[in-house]
Amino acid sequence: MAFNDYPPPEHFLGDLGMEAELTTETTAKVRTRVTPFVTTVDGGVRSGVLATLVDIVGGAIAARVLRPDWMATADLSLQLVGRVRGPWVEARGSVARRGRTTLVIEAIVVCVDEDGNDTVVDGYPADPVAWASMTFSVLPAQNPSSSVQTAGELPARWSFAGGGLDRPVLDALMVEMVDAAAGRLSLAVRPYLHNSFRAMQGGVIALLAEAAGAEALGAAHELDGASFVVTDLQIAYLALGRVGPVVSSARVLGNGPDGRAGAVVELRDSGADDRLMTVVNVSGAPAAVLAGAAT
Amino acid sequence: MTADTTGTRADEPTDEPTDPRRHVSDYFRLERWELPSPDGDEHPAAFAGRAPVDDHHRGPGGGLRTGGLLTNLDTLGGFTSGLAVLPDWIVTTSLLATVSELDHVGPLRYRGDVLRRGRTSVVTALDVVDEGAGDRHVAAATMTCAILDPGAMELEFDRPFSSTMAPPLAHPVGPEEFFCIEPGEGPVTRLDLADRLRNPWGILHGGAVAMLADEAACRAAVAHGPTASGPAGVAAADAVLHYLRPVKVGPVEARCQVLGTRAGRTTVRVAIHDVGADDRMTTLGSVTVLAV
Repeated sequence: MAFNDYPPPEHFLGDLGMEAELTTETTAKVRTRVTPFVTTVDGGVRSGVLATLVDIVGGAIAARVLRPDWMATADLSLQLVGRVRGPWVEARGSVARRGRTTLVIEAIVVCVDEDGNDTVVDGYPADPVAWASMTFSVLPAQNPSSSVQTAGELPARWSFAGGGLDRPVLDALMVEMVDAAAGRLSLAVRPYLHNSFRAMQGGVIALLAEAAGAEALGAAHELDGASFVVTDLQIAYLALGRVGPVVSSARVLGNGPDGRAGAVVELRDSGADDRLMTVVNVSGAPAAVLAGAAT
Repeated sequence: MTADTTGTRADEPTDEPTDPRRHVSDYFRLERWELPSPDGDEHPAAFAGRAPVDDHHRGPGGGLRTGGLLTNLDTLGGFTSGLAVLPDWIVTTSLLATVSELDHVGPLRYRGDVLRRGRTSVVTALDVVDEGAGDRHVAAATMTCAILDPGAMELEFDRPFSSTMAPPLAHPVGPEEFFCIEPGEGPVTRLDLADRLRNPWGILHGGAVAMLADEAACRAAVAHGPTASGPAGVAAADAVLHYLRPVKVGPVEARCQVLGTRAGRTTVRVAIHDVGADDRMTTLGSVTVLAV
């Protein structure tokens, strides 16, 4: 379904096939199916895809809690904490604090079965897959930049219908590699990846930053980007990316004490005077390190 | 707040803070100075700092404990953000930090740069390197502050602002004792709200909150199981802290939930409550605990 014609029929969120439910006035859950097109080499779901999931669950809660006002994501953090077992991953969000100008939401990501029940391992619910937190800035309802004012019309359940992914998500987004070692990737801004402000959607930004960090950190380990798994994202959204292409760059921070490594990724809107859009602290490890370490 | 740009010589040990308003930053001996804008703008875009890594500040990771690192980031980021929005002032709302090195030689050098100044908030990027290890990178962070009307608080600074390094303590105490963190173990850790831990607004200093989160997460990880610990124990690394409400009354309780252990890293959800203020949750975040 769409609100005020958002998202359009051909859209990234539709292709992820997300299904959402507002469970109370201040909680919601959103799920997406685990497919090979959204996973990393270790079988886990890409941190950028999970960031999209929690951004949507947070946005759904915020839309209801803040009505008639609207919101923009100010920051988002996500940490992968456990194995993905599928067949679905579900983000469950709740309000931590509603202030005058901001709203803070936390979300836990778990695996669920076809019926939405927690995946069970040895008779117990499987451990969580990820934990996330978000801050939303409150935008007054009269804000002319807001194109969606239908928060009060949100149904209890809906899904973003689309054709589904038929290739890896980064290919579907049409991310272009410019310089792997520098984490320099380029992504055109087009309706397929718009948010409700007709700028680049926050989850897409997370995916681009994840990919840029993986490429730069992989190169620093003499690996390709696909062999480096990003497990942590700390995202500060500074400005909208309306024009594009959006171009990333990465500064590798060094190797951590346990074989992990981090980078700071910047995203700039090259069509808008190279305006700084987003700063992301990215960290992770080579897949071989994650697989070889005791869990 | 009136800036104190004087100070005792840094090589003269003392047991007394030079200024009670600087009590927390003086504990970690953070000197800091404004980097004036090249075009003379009175709202600076950058701030710098430096602090030694004294032995009593070191944790099992070998360097400055992450709670101390976050305290210095909170102090430096607060000044970077605050001076950028004068005559208003700020309160920290979130701090997202990635730690790339736990073992430090010191001194550590800090830098803060304003990324965005909006109508209601200011976002600052923070970076830390180890001067004693060839400027090896230590941490990167992003800090968001809400802009406040300072009310009656006096905000008078000599510009460009600078603050000298505090002298070493003659009788140093560890962070747990300094920050009034009660001894204990398990998923719940308490802090007594001593007056010296309050910031100029009269609320618990954000650095004290960070140190409590560090200690509480480490205790929770150890209590969760042996896989969390290494030969030297555990150490906090990456942290996400959302400052939801001020801590005004105390005592303060950090309640932890271990979310998972993966590849030697335990992720702990930390919820901090002001027990004396209807037990309301004041801070929410996560801390990654490493086996070291």
